[in-house]
Formats: sequence, structure tokens, C-alpha cells
Amino acid sequence: MKKEHLSCKKIANYICTELDENTDSPQCREIKKHLKSCPNCTAYLDSLKKTVRLYRKYPDPKVQEQCRKKLFAALELGKQKSRSVKKRSR
Amino acid sequence: MKSLKHFFPSEETTLIKKARAGDDRAFTRLVKHYEDLVYGFAFKVCRDKEKAEEIWQDTFINVYRKLNQFDGKSKFTTWLYSIVANNCRMKRRKTKLEMARTYIDKPHVTHDSFESDDRGRNILTVSAWRDTPLDKIMNAELKSKLDAAIQKLPYNYRLVFILRDIEGQSAEETGKILKLSIPAVKSRLRRARVFLREQLNEYMTS
Repeated sequence: MKKEHLSCKKIANYICTELDENTDSPQCREIKKHLKSCPNCTAYLDSLKKTVRLYRKYPDPKVQEQCRKKLFAALELGKQKSRSVKKRSR
Repeated sequence: MKSLKHFFPSEETTLIKKARAGDDRAFTRLVKHYEDLVYGFAFKVCRDKEKAEEIWQDTFINVYRKLNQFDGKSKFTTWLYSIVANNCRMKRRKTKLEMARTYIDKPHVTHDSFESDDRGRNILTVSAWRDTPLDKIMNAELKSKLDAAIQKLPYNYRLVFILRDIEGQSAEETGKILKLSIPAVKSRLRRARVFLREQLNEYMTS
């Protein structure tokens, strides 16, 4: 890759790797250099980071007590063992 | 990585050993410790609470029956995630959204427009996304956009994205869970991020 011809298209192709790999490879250094002077690529990287952050912010649902009861009943936990339900593979 | 409180590795090993020996109380503790991790992962993959509950139950029944097969060579969570991922695949029903998904296997980066500068180089023109703090915009409308976007993402990409970017698993662990090479994990993650970003672009710039 010729440094002087690094285009936004090439940057966009590699920018994702830069998101989670803070390496010091020549490619990464070029991307970082390009980002300093290119508001469009900076906005693109920012939107990728926000995409990930949005999914991380999505609240986690919690397990309902009813769900737990059903499982323990199916496995007959705390009761007399039933071979058909509790059988484990060895 | 998801933090699991009040549980040390040695404690986990002891509980697994006891549960394998038939100690129901130890197994119950394992369930209570990992229940949110299993349910959360299942929900993030299928985006349906009822289906996530079924996957949750199937997973712990599998764990109960197969605990003797866990050899301790991998992390317990790696083993657990691989069971959940398998159960998600089995429960998979092709939704209309998924069937209408965009094909993303071809190298393709963005729908944002490229223009050429005076030296003939491609210049990307991107509209900046809203600067509102993400906490403040997480409403029902955005949630439904996030659900719709991720449901269009093919399963194999979705699992990688969730494990790596949301659950915080390393590329190596994700590879072990999904039986993929590290380069395959990285490639799928890159494409998944780009795909989701494009799905949300219009909403986040309007």
C-alpha cells in the first residue's frame, strides 16, 4: 500500500480492525495519520464505535423466578431422583 | 468481559466437582451464578424473551446431563457459551427479517458515498451521528431499531458480534466457542459491525 495514495475507501476497509486492535503496524499508523486529517473517516469510525456501544447499552433482561422453578421441577432438584430425567451421560 | 461477582475460580471448580458427583445444591448454585449470563446471551441472539427462556432451560438441562463431559481444559464459560450457541441455532426459526437479509459475505464496506478528489482518490462523505449521550436515547423506538438490525444479520455473524463486542470474549475464546479460526472471527466481526452500522445509519443521522 502506497502511503501517499491511501484513500478513504481503503481506510474504511481496514478501519474496523483498528477498532479492537491497537497495534503499531504500518497500516495502523497510516490509518491513525489519515484520521487526524480526515473528518469523514473520523465520523465513520465514530459511528462504528457508537454502533457497538448502543448494543452494549441495550438493557439485559433478567431471568424470571418462574423460569427457574420450571427448570428445577424438570430436573427434579431437591426431590427423589428419577433416572429418566436425571440421567447423565458419562 | 462480563463480570461474575462473588465467585472464585477455585470455588467454581469445587462446585463443578460436587455437581458432577450428584450434589444438587452445588448444581443449583451453578445455575444461579450463570443464569443471567445464559439468559442474556440467548436473548441477545434471538431477541425474543419466550425463545430465550426455552434456550435457557434447554441449556441448563444439557449442562446437568453433560457436566461429566466438561474436561476442564477450557474455561467453564467457554463450554457454557458453546452450549447456548448450539441451542440458539437449534431454536432458530427464520424470521421474515432474516430471510430478507442483505448478503454480507462479499467484501463490502459502506453505503456512504465516495467522491473523488482532484488526485482521483476516493473521498468518503459521512454524516456524523448524533452526539446525544447514548443512555438518553435508549428508548423503545431505538430498541426496536437495534432488534430489527441485528435480526437481519446472518446467525454466524451475529454470534461473533455478540460474543466479541457485547459479551467481551476474546477472539481466541470466540473461536473456541464457535469452532472458528481467529482470522474468521476477525473477518466476521468486521463485516457484522459494518452491516449493523449501515442499518442504523439513517436513524442515527436523521
